[in-house]
Amino acid sequence: MALSKRKRATYFRYAQYGLLVLIALVVAFTGNWSEIAHTFFDLKTVGQMFPDLVTVALKNTIIYTILGFAFGLALGLLLALMKLSSVAPYRWIATTYIEFFRGVPALLVFLAFTVAVPLAFEIKFDIYSTAMLALGLVGAAYMAETIRAGIQAVPKGQVEAARSLGMSRGRAMVTIVIPQAFRIILPPLTNELIMLTKDSSLIYIVGVTREQYELTKFGREFLSRSPTLTPILVIGLSYLVITLPLGYLSRYLERRSGGKKVSVV
Amino acid sequence: MSEICVEIAGLKKSFGPLEVLKNIDLTVNRGDVVCIIGPSGSGKSTLLRCVNLLEEPNGGKIVVNDTELTDPDVDIDRARTKIGMVFQSFNLFSHLTVLNNLTVAQRKVLKRGEKEAQEIGLRNLERVGLKEKANAMPAQLSGGQQQRAAIARALSMNPEVMLFDEPTSALDPELVGDVLGVMRQLADEGMTMLVVTHEMQFAREVADKVIFMDGGYIVEEGPAAEVIGNPQEERTREFLARVLDPTHHGPSDPV
Ligand SMILES: Nc1ncnc2c1ncn2[C@@H]1O[C@H](COP(=O)(O)OP(=O)(O)OP(=O)(O)O)[C@@H](O)[C@H]1O
Ligand SMILES: [Mg+2]
Repeated sequence: MALSKRKRATYFRYAQYGLLVLIALVVAFTGNWSEIAHTFFDLKTVGQMFPDLVTVALKNTIIYTILGFAFGLALGLLLALMKLSSVAPYRWIATTYIEFFRGVPALLVFLAFTVAVPLAFEIKFDIYSTAMLALGLVGAAYMAETIRAGIQAVPKGQVEAARSLGMSRGRAMVTIVIPQAFRIILPPLTNELIMLTKDSSLIYIVGVTREQYELTKFGREFLSRSPTLTPILVIGLSYLVITLPLGYLSRYLERRSGGKKVSVV
Repeated sequence: MSEICVEIAGLKKSFGPLEVLKNIDLTVNRGDVVCIIGPSGSGKSTLLRCVNLLEEPNGGKIVVNDTELTDPDVDIDRARTKIGMVFQSFNLFSHLTVLNNLTVAQRKVLKRGEKEAQEIGLRNLERVGLKEKANAMPAQLSGGQQQRAAIARALSMNPEVMLFDEPTSALDPELVGDVLGVMRQLADEGMTMLVVTHEMQFAREVADKVIFMDGGYIVEEGPAAEVIGNPQEERTREFLARVLDPTHHGPSDPV
């Protein structure tokens, strides 16, 4: 029997809805709800987590992330320019760097900073330098590719116009191309920031004091002392307080630049 | 300063195996308007882009404003400030306001002060009838307005010669007149101009010399009335017949 295409699509949709309802029912009946409420929504534990949750943990997460992002952005820009350079060794260095740092877990980079780097160079970084360098080194590898794509997306005519007005290659890059590239890549860069926010949880591995706790470490500390699992929920929500607005910002910027790109001549 | 503004001798340019300019000799006197016409792919844009070294020639000599651009030691950025260029696709800097489009190179290249650059920019916007658009973004302008702003941007550098590469080809027909009007006014003021164009009426009325290019050579050159009005070469005649009357090619429609 042949169903029309539209009919088949409708039945398929109903089947999907049915499956969702079924899953919801199973969860509702099998879950022990009073236990769940007690475990995850224990208001007393929530109360204990304040105010340090905000004044220490959230604050540190944001500081580590911003430091890492700023350094990563600068290094990423440098790598992007190297990758676009006409000097072959620059391109090789940039490619090797990017492939390496995208290929290894961020955790390993943090480990290197606790053990290997101090051993090899006889220097000890404080917590902020470690966060900045370790997060930045990883972030730069991702951002470099994004920035390179942005630079290449700037129409060639823009550079030609700049050069024909007497600007040097470098001058045209700095005053004309890079500002336009950053408008194009603002949405993906915001996504990088979200990734780094989550990666900042890896800082615990270098060994941190109580004032240096970021959200995840702070939550784990509470978890070990708390009879409930509430800290997990609280910490999760705290991350969302940062990442949801960033995600919204990213989509907003994308819509805006999407509208713009069409009119670029 | 010599009578001759642009001097090209034995110019050759290839893209890989493709020989685009085969042997070009061309002289443009100061204050003259030279129009370059010819079929698509004949090398008109390439020739124009060689005059400010946006394309690197493979052979020959180019002298502009008494500076030899083909000299390997030339300060090309400096030489380009004296050569204005207007593109088919306008190429206004899309992240800057119209006025900042006009001031950015003045400040960064000519090192003029902010105030001076703005005064010069506004004066040139007024020249092209766009003073009230100073603070608009390029995307907010019509094509004709964008092209006039691009002309004003080039003029703000006080160039000695202006290069136009099909400045009206990307425009709606009703906007072409405004841009041609500005160019005509520039010509009347004595600007030296090299114009690649398909606007035969403009070439007839404004050009001191018309050049017909085909296959990488200059096939015919002379006063507009002769090259367009009474072409000597068969290829020129064919081209003009096609451009002036695209629907019928017959000799029943004299040019
Ligand atoms: N950067 C480039 N790389 C390779 N080939 C090129 C390049 N620029 C131009 N060409 C080729 O050189 C030839 C001449 O191009 P040019 O743009 O000078 O022609 P034109 O006379 O301006 O044509 P049109 O009227 O279509 O603008 C064409 O065959 C074109 O494909
Ligand atoms: Mg062309």
